[in-house]
Amino acid sequence: MSFTLDGVSQRYITDSGEVVHALADTSLEVPTGQFLCVVGPSGCGKTTLLKILAGFLRPTGGEARVNGSAISGPSWERGVVFQQANLYPWLTVRKNVELGLKFRGVGAAERRETGQQCLDLVGLSGFEDQKTYELSGGMQQRAQIARVLANDPEIILMDEPFGALDALTRERLQMDLLQISRERRKTVFFITHSVEEAVFLGDRVLVMSPRPGRVVLDEKVEISKKYGRLLPGKELRSTPEFVGLRDLIAETIYAGQAPA
Amino acid sequence: MVTGPTQDEGGLVSQADHLGQSLRVAADARRSRRTQRVRKLVLSLAVLVVALAVWWLVTALELVQPLYLPSPAAVWQAFVESNTCRELESGRTVCGEQNYYMWEHLIASMQRIAVGVGVAIVLGPLVGFLMASIGWLNTALEPYLNFLRALPPLGYIGLLIVWFGIGNTSKYWLLFLAAFPPIVIATINGVRGVREDSIHAARSMGASQWQVGRHVILPATLPEVIGGIRIAVGFAWTTVVAAELNAGIPGIGGLAYVSGQQLQTALTIACIIVIGLAAVALDALLKHLGTLLVPWYGRA
Repeated sequence: MSFTLDGVSQRYITDSGEVVHALADTSLEVPTGQFLCVVGPSGCGKTTLLKILAGFLRPTGGEARVNGSAISGPSWERGVVFQQANLYPWLTVRKNVELGLKFRGVGAAERRETGQQCLDLVGLSGFEDQKTYELSGGMQQRAQIARVLANDPEIILMDEPFGALDALTRERLQMDLLQISRERRKTVFFITHSVEEAVFLGDRVLVMSPRPGRVVLDEKVEISKKYGRLLPGKELRSTPEFVGLRDLIAETIYAGQAPA
Repeated sequence: MVTGPTQDEGGLVSQADHLGQSLRVAADARRSRRTQRVRKLVLSLAVLVVALAVWWLVTALELVQPLYLPSPAAVWQAFVESNTCRELESGRTVCGEQNYYMWEHLIASMQRIAVGVGVAIVLGPLVGFLMASIGWLNTALEPYLNFLRALPPLGYIGLLIVWFGIGNTSKYWLLFLAAFPPIVIATINGVRGVREDSIHAARSMGASQWQVGRHVILPATLPEVIGGIRIAVGFAWTTVVAAELNAGIPGIGGLAYVSGQQLQTALTIACIIVIGLAAVALDALLKHLGTLLVPWYGRA
């Protein structure tokens, strides 16, 4: 599934009556199977953009489309991984993961099988029947990712999903996410604060400027293509292309933050 | 990887060590929790003993006339008499007070509370959900809810008697009207307090509006609803005397009122203590029920 932003902008009025221009006119075309990473300082409209794509927020200007038709609300085809795990504490880990399938009327046996696969994938085997609040923060986040993957959405929208994880878990989940998105040709919209993570994961990286948010850099990441194969993480990070792109992105972010 | 026997042994030893240590830590934690509980209990008991001692001293020194403040022993005697049969000087045998044992009075009041609060527990959350999810309904009803909440039950019991008669119906109504607003208000606050992301997460998993209500908002609101029920039951106990002012026998509130009017102050105090203890016990039960129903409360 591909998505398009056509001059999308977002303004809102704060409680004190101030008009905030959160997102300037933004146009973007993201083809099926692309892994798009978005970086930028806080308040640059990244999350606003994600909410528009998820259908939680209707843009005040322009139009957001999925496969050519306008987004009118949330849909299971656009799965969302939030910053916070948002698990439902009244359900066990397993029931949380199976919930999307249940909403969509999938039978119990198939729910169980798919749910188990996703739990295994994120390394939560053996924790299926735990209470969600008994899991550590990192495990809760993994459970949330399993919950979204169980639904098998065509587009995965992720808002700093690995920000709160320890380095080891983060690296493992990054690899798993890359593999899943490539194998199943998922389109991914991935917000992060880490430039390194963006270059490592993305096929393409967007840098956004502070309010009003707009795209100031749009770079394809073609390191693997250039080397003709997928490089393992350590090797990839030390290539001159990786270092160069990382520095370019970091400079762009800093330049954007400098007082005008 | 090849591991030598010494390495293996070392691993075992350190593992056993580690296990022993964590067992010790757990035992220490249990012990300190127990000491804390004992300390709290001792404090509560000490306060009770001091209060009883002061009460006893005041009455033993006859600082206050027994009519105004009977001694602890007299109250205990009134309590025992109200639960047993005794022979009067005339040779007649009297059982309990006002023809009922005290526990029968208590059960009669609890039955009234069960009916009044029970209906409020069924209707309160329902009305609360409707008001929280339908804007105009909330606008229309909220002022009246607050109006009702502010009314003292004693103020309108007379009106209820005129409408529904002096029997149990007016008492049910009074207890219902006292219990209803706190449950509705707690439910509304609960629904409004559901985190937006919880709802968004469900919607983007494919939930319909109805499924969001059933699988997210309803369980998420449960802790507040239970809190509201606890407040409502507490409020019903404070209302039960007002409900039983007229034709309230059998009824513990009625007994407290009638005995006071007949200057049986020892019995009145016994009734007050029984009402208080029953209310505390019922609240403890509800609190326990709450932790069983919403074990995640305060932890997620």
